[in-house]
Amino acid sequence: MRLPSGTFNISYIQDMMVFRTIHHRIGLAVFLILLFLFPLFATQYWQAILNTIAVTVIALQGLNILAGYCGQISIGHSAFMAVGAYGSALLMKYLDLPFWPCLLLSSVGAGVVGIIFGLSSLKVKGFYLAISTIAAQYIITYMIKTPFPQVTGGPISLHVPPVNLGGFVLETETHFYYLIMIITILMTFISKSITRSHIGRAFVAIRDNDIAAEAMGINLYRYKLLAFFVGCFFAGIAGAIWAAYSKVISPDDFTLMNSVWLMGMLIVGGLGGTLGPIFGAIFIKALNEACVIIGPIITSLIPQIGAQFSAALVEMAFGVTIVIFLIYEPRGLAHRWEILKESYRLWPFSY
Amino acid sequence: MIKFIQLLMTGVAVGLIYGLMALGFVLIYKASKIFNFAQGEMVMVGSFLAWTFVGLFHLPILPGLLIAFLIAGVVGYFLERFPFRPMIGQPILAIIMMTLALAVFMRGFAILLWAEHIGIKFPSFIPEKTIYILQAPISSVILWSLILVLTLVVVLSLFFRYTRTGLHMRAAAESHQLSQSMGIRVTKAIAQSWAIAAVVSAIGGFLLGYVRGIDFGLAELGLIAIVAALVGGLESFNGAILGGVIIGVAETFTGGYIGRGLREVVPFIVMVLVLFYKPYGLFGLEEIERV
Repeated sequence: MRLPSGTFNISYIQDMMVFRTIHHRIGLAVFLILLFLFPLFATQYWQAILNTIAVTVIALQGLNILAGYCGQISIGHSAFMAVGAYGSALLMKYLDLPFWPCLLLSSVGAGVVGIIFGLSSLKVKGFYLAISTIAAQYIITYMIKTPFPQVTGGPISLHVPPVNLGGFVLETETHFYYLIMIITILMTFISKSITRSHIGRAFVAIRDNDIAAEAMGINLYRYKLLAFFVGCFFAGIAGAIWAAYSKVISPDDFTLMNSVWLMGMLIVGGLGGTLGPIFGAIFIKALNEACVIIGPIITSLIPQIGAQFSAALVEMAFGVTIVIFLIYEPRGLAHRWEILKESYRLWPFSY
Repeated sequence: MIKFIQLLMTGVAVGLIYGLMALGFVLIYKASKIFNFAQGEMVMVGSFLAWTFVGLFHLPILPGLLIAFLIAGVVGYFLERFPFRPMIGQPILAIIMMTLALAVFMRGFAILLWAEHIGIKFPSFIPEKTIYILQAPISSVILWSLILVLTLVVVLSLFFRYTRTGLHMRAAAESHQLSQSMGIRVTKAIAQSWAIAAVVSAIGGFLLGYVRGIDFGLAELGLIAIVAALVGGLESFNGAILGGVIIGVAETFTGGYIGRGLREVVPFIVMVLVLFYKPYGLFGLEEIERV
């Protein structure tokens, strides 16, 4: 990464800093303050949108580690979210455990389930791996729907008990906003730390060429399974929070299409960077909301196209967006952002 | 015993339809090394398309189907040009996402055009009769689809063996560089394989739609075709058909003897097991990788 004009690294500590200059730190502080003051001047609607985006960001950070850093394609990510969601909901409902242990236990559970399905990554890769994660998607959804419908609520839905943090019951959108934001910031920090450590380097080596990585002494078994564990752990956290936040969960919240959408968000945002998931989640959510608003307007102008136009528009817009990004900007919005920053780095003396 | 024969015949017939759709998948894979996750949506759209001409416009059955399959073929031919030619040489994740994006787009398209007609059926034109084989009652529809699929498989294999176009496509599947230096236009061959795959998927969609009604769930059955292709091994046409039959039989047997819920996941369980013991399928080529 190029540094702003006149800034030089003269020690390893400076070289390893995430936020290198005073401007970075001020920018971060302003961003965080604005994020926490947001509920004071935003309506419920906007808070709900930000909540959804933040939960998605958590899941995407995990998917980013798994697919963006380690190169293991997963199209079953929302199923691992389902493991976290159902795990924490059932723990809270039947064992009356408090929220935090439930969150942690169910996420570890999701990670372990991820390892089980990640076992196939030791034998196959690329397309074969993608389809075996699709298998994971179907098998997990089946486990929720069919064998124990009295416990899991079957195909219908499961009511999640309210979250109680030491006597304080989370009820409103704003309460959840603060909970979700704190966890999202924490998880983003953790994912950044993982990718900067020797583990992240090993992941990148495996992504670029796993045979070469093995020849260089990286234990493929260990790191591939670790990637699956970490990725699915993040998904588990996202799922557990989603369950607590939406209060009712059903297998329809975690379909194959949701997994495809997660993967699409990652493509739009950019793989292999911390910013990518954030950009991707915001962009696709914005696109989605725009379609939801525009769809009925067009339907009312041209009634012949039918009431289903809105639903169709959402899917078609998503498909077209992914196609355009893959052809014209495969490195995603994060790369565009880098280019933008680069062009202003030496401003106004850009040469 | 009667139930066994009945389930076996149904399984084989359904499996052959899966095999047919898997054939479409293998065709595209062999020609261009693209894993077409939109296979399921191609099946669904093909089925709706066939219904539009036969059921909505009330064309006679044969011309209606021919027009529908022709349209499917033309659309398939141009799919190669727009979304997939820029993808040559891209990483595998980009290609997979491209096909998934295509799948989402086609689903949206189908919702837009056909959402109000969900759950419709083709007008029945095969005489409904029950035929007894070893005392087991078998619906004539199943026998007809069995015959149709077998004919198609024979026609396709003759096409690949004896016609010029078929030979070109096989050559392109073998090696792009070599076939180009022999004067074969690889892009054309790939486009042709997309077209044939689209037609084959549409035929599979028509058969499935005829048996079980047309809805958006057909897309998931098309996904099972991919599973069948994997079980058989991606490099082999015969493997695709056999994989389809294995999956179909496994499905009907679990549906008949164990329960409906498990029936939906059994293809995936079979696939995971096969992939674990034979990672490249039953008839696939093992890839040896070097750094």
